[in-house]
Amino acid sequence: MSASTSALRQSRVSRGAALARLALRIGGRYVARSPRLLFASVERRGELRHDLALRSADEVAEELGAMKGVLMKLGQMASYIYEDMPATFRASMSRLQHRAPPMTGALAASVIVEELGGTPAEVFAEWDPLPFAAASIGQVHRAITRDGRAVAVKVQYPGIARSITSDLRNVGLLRRIVGAAFPGLDTRSLVDELGDRLQEEVDYVREAESQELFAGYYDGHPYIRVPHVIPELSTERVLTSELVSGATFDELLTWDQREKDLAAETIHRFVFRSLYRLHAFNGDPHPGNYLFHRGGRVSFLDFGLTKLFTDDDLAPLVDAVRFLVFEKDYEAFRAALERAGFLKPGAPVPTETVVDRFGQFYGTVLQDAPMTITPSYASAIVRRFFDARGPLAPYSDVPRAYVVMQRINLGLYAVLGSLHATANWRRIAEEIWPFRNGPPSTPIGEAEAEWLRTNPQKVLRIN
Amino acid sequence: METARLSPLEPLARAYVKAVAAQPADGGLFGPKSMVWRVNRDRSFPLAGMRSLMVQALHPLAMAGVAQHSAWRQDPFGRLAATSSYVLTTTYGDTASALAAAAWVRKVHTRVRGTDPQTGLPYSAEDPALLLWVHAGMVDSIVEVVRRYGRPIEPADLDRYVAEMVTFAEIIGVPREEVPATADSLRAYVESVELRQATPAAKEAIAIVLDPPDLDAETRDLWHDLAQVAVGTLPDWAREMYGYPAPPAELMEREPVRQLLGALDLAFESLPGVLEARQRIELRTRA
Repeated sequence: MSASTSALRQSRVSRGAALARLALRIGGRYVARSPRLLFASVERRGELRHDLALRSADEVAEELGAMKGVLMKLGQMASYIYEDMPATFRASMSRLQHRAPPMTGALAASVIVEELGGTPAEVFAEWDPLPFAAASIGQVHRAITRDGRAVAVKVQYPGIARSITSDLRNVGLLRRIVGAAFPGLDTRSLVDELGDRLQEEVDYVREAESQELFAGYYDGHPYIRVPHVIPELSTERVLTSELVSGATFDELLTWDQREKDLAAETIHRFVFRSLYRLHAFNGDPHPGNYLFHRGGRVSFLDFGLTKLFTDDDLAPLVDAVRFLVFEKDYEAFRAALERAGFLKPGAPVPTETVVDRFGQFYGTVLQDAPMTITPSYASAIVRRFFDARGPLAPYSDVPRAYVVMQRINLGLYAVLGSLHATANWRRIAEEIWPFRNGPPSTPIGEAEAEWLRTNPQKVLRIN
Repeated sequence: METARLSPLEPLARAYVKAVAAQPADGGLFGPKSMVWRVNRDRSFPLAGMRSLMVQALHPLAMAGVAQHSAWRQDPFGRLAATSSYVLTTTYGDTASALAAAAWVRKVHTRVRGTDPQTGLPYSAEDPALLLWVHAGMVDSIVEVVRRYGRPIEPADLDRYVAEMVTFAEIIGVPREEVPATADSLRAYVESVELRQATPAAKEAIAIVLDPPDLDAETRDLWHDLAQVAVGTLPDWAREMYGYPAPPAELMEREPVRQLLGALDLAFESLPGVLEARQRIELRTRA
């Protein structure tokens, strides 16, 4: 037995006692000081079917190639869109979401060899051959680096990048399937959306750059944490980052409403602050990409779909908020939407209708008062986005620059809705909108303001 | 993927789940390590099924037996599910279930006899020559389709498959020594049968297979694509008997056909119990 496996075994034996010490030690911080304790405390997910693990690239192709991976992603999007989807549909989707088995340890190790030039035992001080989490096109292993850091290593299924690219090229088939699955929705934008998302997801180098951008910006933030990337252990198909532990979204759902409200506030702040101050948007607000800690602290994982914005991209959006929410100048609001490309200029539609339809997307910030986001509120917003039958449909569009940002509507509201989160979202937004610079409106806002006082360069970071 | 849109697949799913028992008494006629177990769950099977029907129908007496004794027109998908259930039970069921299924089919066959209106020849479904034709039409189609669109497989393994499948013909009433045991000899046998023609009954039946009634618009589109590919896998003589043109080459390319099959397979797998049944099979092959 190698030194590393015996150390691994030791750490498992002492897990109970270690966790007890850990609970005393962590206090208000996120991370265990000892990588080994953290390594042991990140739990394996029970739902992974290791007995059915994929043993070869052929088996990966059989399970996830030939449209299957692509369509499963579609199922995930569907679960955002249809809050009231038929129970049978929901059941089939959830069956499909959990259908992809993990890779065997040997197959995952072969990817590590190809990408990092050595076996996991050579590259890492410790390596857990059983993945602890599934990723949509790979799986995540925990490991300890040679310099002693506990890390999460995301390993991509071999061959999946090529097969996804080829599947997405078959747009005709995809549109017909999507048309059959979602009558009445705009299949073209759904399929384009899906294509963008998957193309970006297979490129781990791009993801690493995005993640590092967020991680650097949020360093030292009292409520928001983004694990750093370990660049020397990351490639196109392997992404190594700091290991983080925390409660899953399902666990958060069992906490009391106050905890849910605080977590929702932090998520909301993260999205708004990243967009307006970092000029970056993480377009994958999927419940599986958060880890929760008591008191409203949240760790954000998975930056596979990040969009960077220029001042020019943001200007019309900022104008739209200003004119709609503060100046109540509806013609100017409409003009801003036209400038951004959301609405064709000169569409034969009264401005009243424009305000009614597009105003929906600003529902959380129109009133200076506490508001509860419900699941039905969230799904109404999302459905409107893809509605191919509404009065504005012939004249409205989502310009390329904003496609990812529209995922606020797909994912963020869905997440906040399922938390039934209540807050004065408007006051929080006012803190963050650059043209308002409002005062802290909550205890989390106070702590954030303190963080900004000691990190003045983060008030507005231009990429 | 609303329930109604999947309805053609539902009888197939129920048959699938029922055929793959949770607690089989033994490994069945072939066993988990056999080529039959591997090939008979290939994702390209829907295509192989369509091609099988098209080849089998080209024997006027086999076709007459179906046309005169089966109620398939009223319920084509139910009929398809029954055939599929038979193949699954004899493959993955335990020995007792497999032999019981075969005994039941042989019993039904005792009543299937008559005269083909086209050729004026008498027929009986117990005739080993007819049974061999039907067997060969199926196995040849599986080999052809899996070779083109299935999981990569060695030619020697396909021969092994054909040899193992001899048992399939035997339990239905064909003497073992009369059944071709390699892919090439099987094809040679099919092309050696004199009485091959597309009778009006065959043309009518296959038209329904290629364009089944009661499919909604989107499913029908996908089905038509699949049917065209199935036509393209036929030998030229068979395709010409039906009078179908050769489909364009780009429609026959491996990648898009596999994408079509994959989408169909995922829809099938989303039906209750199918994924679990497949996992039971997979676990037994790994045991």
